[in-house]
Amino acid sequence: MWQIFIDSFIGEKAYVNVLQGIAVTIVTAISALVIGIILGTIVALSRVFKSKNPVIKALQVIAKLYVGFFRGTPIVVQLLFIYFVIFPAIGLGLMNVMVVGIIIFGLNSGAYVSEIMRAGILSVDKGQNEAGRALGLTYTTTLFKVILPQAIKNVIPTIANEFVSLLKETSVLSFIGIMDLTKALREIGAENYEFTIPYLVLAIIYLVLVMIATSIVKLIETRLRRNER
Amino acid sequence: MNDKNKNVVISVDNLFKSFGKHEVLKGVSCQINKGDKVAIVGPSGSGKSTLLRCMNLLETPTYGEVWFEEQLLTPVDPYLHFDIIRLSKTYKKLIEQIKAEDATISEEELDIKAITQIKKDDLLKKFEGAEYRKAIKTLYKEKNLDINLARQKVGMVFQHFNLFNNLTVLQNLTLAPVKLKIMSKEEANKNALSLLKRIGLEDKANAYPSTLSGGQKQRIAIVRALAMNPKVMLFDEPTSALDPEMVGEVLDLMRELANEGMTMVIVTHEMGFAKEVANRVVFIDDGVIKEEASPQEFFNNPKDERLKEFLSKVL
Repeated sequence: MWQIFIDSFIGEKAYVNVLQGIAVTIVTAISALVIGIILGTIVALSRVFKSKNPVIKALQVIAKLYVGFFRGTPIVVQLLFIYFVIFPAIGLGLMNVMVVGIIIFGLNSGAYVSEIMRAGILSVDKGQNEAGRALGLTYTTTLFKVILPQAIKNVIPTIANEFVSLLKETSVLSFIGIMDLTKALREIGAENYEFTIPYLVLAIIYLVLVMIATSIVKLIETRLRRNER
Repeated sequence: MNDKNKNVVISVDNLFKSFGKHEVLKGVSCQINKGDKVAIVGPSGSGKSTLLRCMNLLETPTYGEVWFEEQLLTPVDPYLHFDIIRLSKTYKKLIEQIKAEDATISEEELDIKAITQIKKDDLLKKFEGAEYRKAIKTLYKEKNLDINLARQKVGMVFQHFNLFNNLTVLQNLTLAPVKLKIMSKEEANKNALSLLKRIGLEDKANAYPSTLSGGQKQRIAIVRALAMNPKVMLFDEPTSALDPEMVGEVLDLMRELANEGMTMVIVTHEMGFAKEVANRVVFIDDGVIKEEASPQEFFNNPKDERLKEFLSKVL
């Protein structure tokens, strides 16, 4: 069994696909997280902002719907629905599939990050806002200069965990035809009608990736905790 | 309110505040004059902190007025407020109408006549809800700006310090003056360092609040308020969250401020300090001021029964 795997892995140069798959997985996860953090912060801010302005009110409703959809449906469904239904309908059907994958994962992660951020903002002590307001600062200045920086610090470990789950969730990218890690190894199996070794290797690669990511998360956490002392 | 004395810094008039169904303040009036050191004492839950927090509108009163110098901070009942009426279209129309009828009428009479008619016939409320709402909004917007401006001149010190945890000590002191464009960055830094030097903590300028002791935090919170050159300082139980050995250093700094002539309102449990520093002591119980007197009078010859009982417990 190993012989078959090694033959196609090295002999037939399948390792190119596997390495490319690893890259796709990591790049998608990182880009999605970056989009997610930016989008999530904006959405979270719009939801904690107290305003009677009708424009902001409307944005808040849209934000709520957005978070509801992406948290309420499986990522596979989002991939299929957006790639095969929404994008062609708005004339983006020919977009590079890799970009589409990153966008959809970014949107998905934005919904989760917004909830994390919202909890983070609400967890900052009320006294911080009062101190800012008592000095004559506006709510907006206090929010951006005092509350948000503390909220971000509070949620970094949770966001890092979001990265770990993104890394794993990218395994469904092949649903829209992207050559990710999962697809690369599945193809090795399909060629030889032998799946034991490819899937074993697949699981091990994911495990190693996640372990590396987790240890980075731990490192960040201890760093942050040390700064608090 | 033209009869207001020029010396009045904060004036509270018939203030009510409820949290839901729980009524905390039940009609409180008091005046803080320039140079006053007013100590507010009372049992916990009596409303003394709420009164203090109403003075800079951290709590919005349910009813009543708070004045800072010559400026009214509390939202007024818009329908009773002439400025609201003057903003409305109906007012302008009426003015034109009255003018057309009587060309010799004076501006003042015109104003009174229009306002009386609007009030009498309830013109704004019943027929022009939208216009009425718009006028309130305009006035409220201006007022909102004013509150922030007034707060710049009213320093506040909290029980739990509330230093900005994400900023260094120096940044804590310079954030507001720089953001509000009162000082340039260099000026603010210089000012902050001299304030820190004054309390002997200039070596902590680049430390974060979490590395400081409670006493140090509270002293920094006090100079953070001072960095805005306030006209009055409000202290909300400034020593209640401190370990006993740190109370002294904070009280020393407050004593210093008092001697320099700072106007101060202090909610406190430190009766000794109130006796020594205050020129007036106010006793609040159950949401009303039960007694207000000079410290000698207050502590040696209390009149109110509840105050006698309170003093026998705390002294």
